[in-house]
Amino acid sequence: MHSSLVRLQNVFGFFTTVAFVVAALIAASDLAAPRTPKSNIQVKDVSVLKGRPHYYSNKIEEYAQIRFSLSADLSSLFTWNTKQVFVYVSASWPNSTSVALSNEAVIWDMIITNPSADHLTNLGPSAMKKLKRSAKGKPIDPSRGKLELKNQKPKYSISAPGGKLALTNDVVLKVHYNVQPWVGVLTWTPQVEFLGWKKMRGGVSKVFSLPAVKAKKQPVKKD
Amino acid sequence: MLSALQNPRQAAAQILNFGLILSTAFMMWKGLSVISDSPSPIVVVLSGSMEPAFQRGDLLFLWNRNFMEETKVGEIVVYNVKGKNIPIVHRLVRKFGVGEAAKLLTKGDNNSADDTELYAKGQDYIERKDIIGSVVAYIPFVGYVTILLSEHPWLKTVMLGIMGLVVVLQRE
Repeated sequence: MHSSLVRLQNVFGFFTTVAFVVAALIAASDLAAPRTPKSNIQVKDVSVLKGRPHYYSNKIEEYAQIRFSLSADLSSLFTWNTKQVFVYVSASWPNSTSVALSNEAVIWDMIITNPSADHLTNLGPSAMKKLKRSAKGKPIDPSRGKLELKNQKPKYSISAPGGKLALTNDVVLKVHYNVQPWVGVLTWTPQVEFLGWKKMRGGVSKVFSLPAVKAKKQPVKKD
Repeated sequence: MLSALQNPRQAAAQILNFGLILSTAFMMWKGLSVISDSPSPIVVVLSGSMEPAFQRGDLLFLWNRNFMEETKVGEIVVYNVKGKNIPIVHRLVRKFGVGEAAKLLTKGDNNSADDTELYAKGQDYIERKDIIGSVVAYIPFVGYVTILLSEHPWLKTVMLGIMGLVVVLQRE
């Protein structure tokens, strides 16, 4: 009954039970921290070009580049169980046949790690040192959730399956976030308010249209 | 230690017990699969393409039902590519159209380019039916055991052997 094997089994069983309960408590503690994110996004410069949107695309198509300004305060998303916050800006636009925003593409994203996860980021040694120094001694750094981007260039230019994008109307930019916990449930920008978790204040741009294809500069002829 | 062999009734009960444990585990897995509507409701991360969010060996829980809304941009999905039998965990970055026919594009957070190169030849987008679930919950590191087991197959035999021995030889 009391062989060493049974003792070992009991110890292991107890360990897993305790680890599981502690993990569940940590995951549940997310609900206790109110979330009150807000953001303001403005469309700056929009252009539609014709060409290859990526180095690996093999056909010429229309692609749009949308510059924007973003000021956001996501500091309330950073708690002890936050591993990273993934912030992304998407452009949505309707199909020609309906008014629903049935197309969506991410034009910019950013990974904001909590200092506790800095060592996991994919950075060069000097950038890593800088990142770590920026929050020295702080396991949680809510100030990283404050963003101030002026006339930001998009990370991804957008193209559509048909190859046509110019003169699209009713395009809108939206700010979203995804909180990645150390353990527990992943959360996205909420559609409904839940306990202390508020909807994002702002975070939607004014509706705008994509312009006509920008003509390539003609080489000036010299006589 | 060999008392089990001298008492066939007890030996039979213990073998039955072992079978019960295995079938309970199997039932729980299949039950979860039915609830989440996913052929594989729990997956282990095998690559670093979603770092720093997911590391190798982390455990992900999937959900494959669309109750309130469609699978949308920003969600982290697990999908299969025709001709490759390893499911990929990446983020949805583009969606054109609605419903089953919507064209979806994915990208790993840690990759600089999107997944067009990972898809089958001539395939530019995936569809909803290629997705086996969206990630809803996360437990770090626990799945590392399965990576060890698949990289060192002899461990499997050893573990099964030990488990069998323990169950058969232990007395209630």
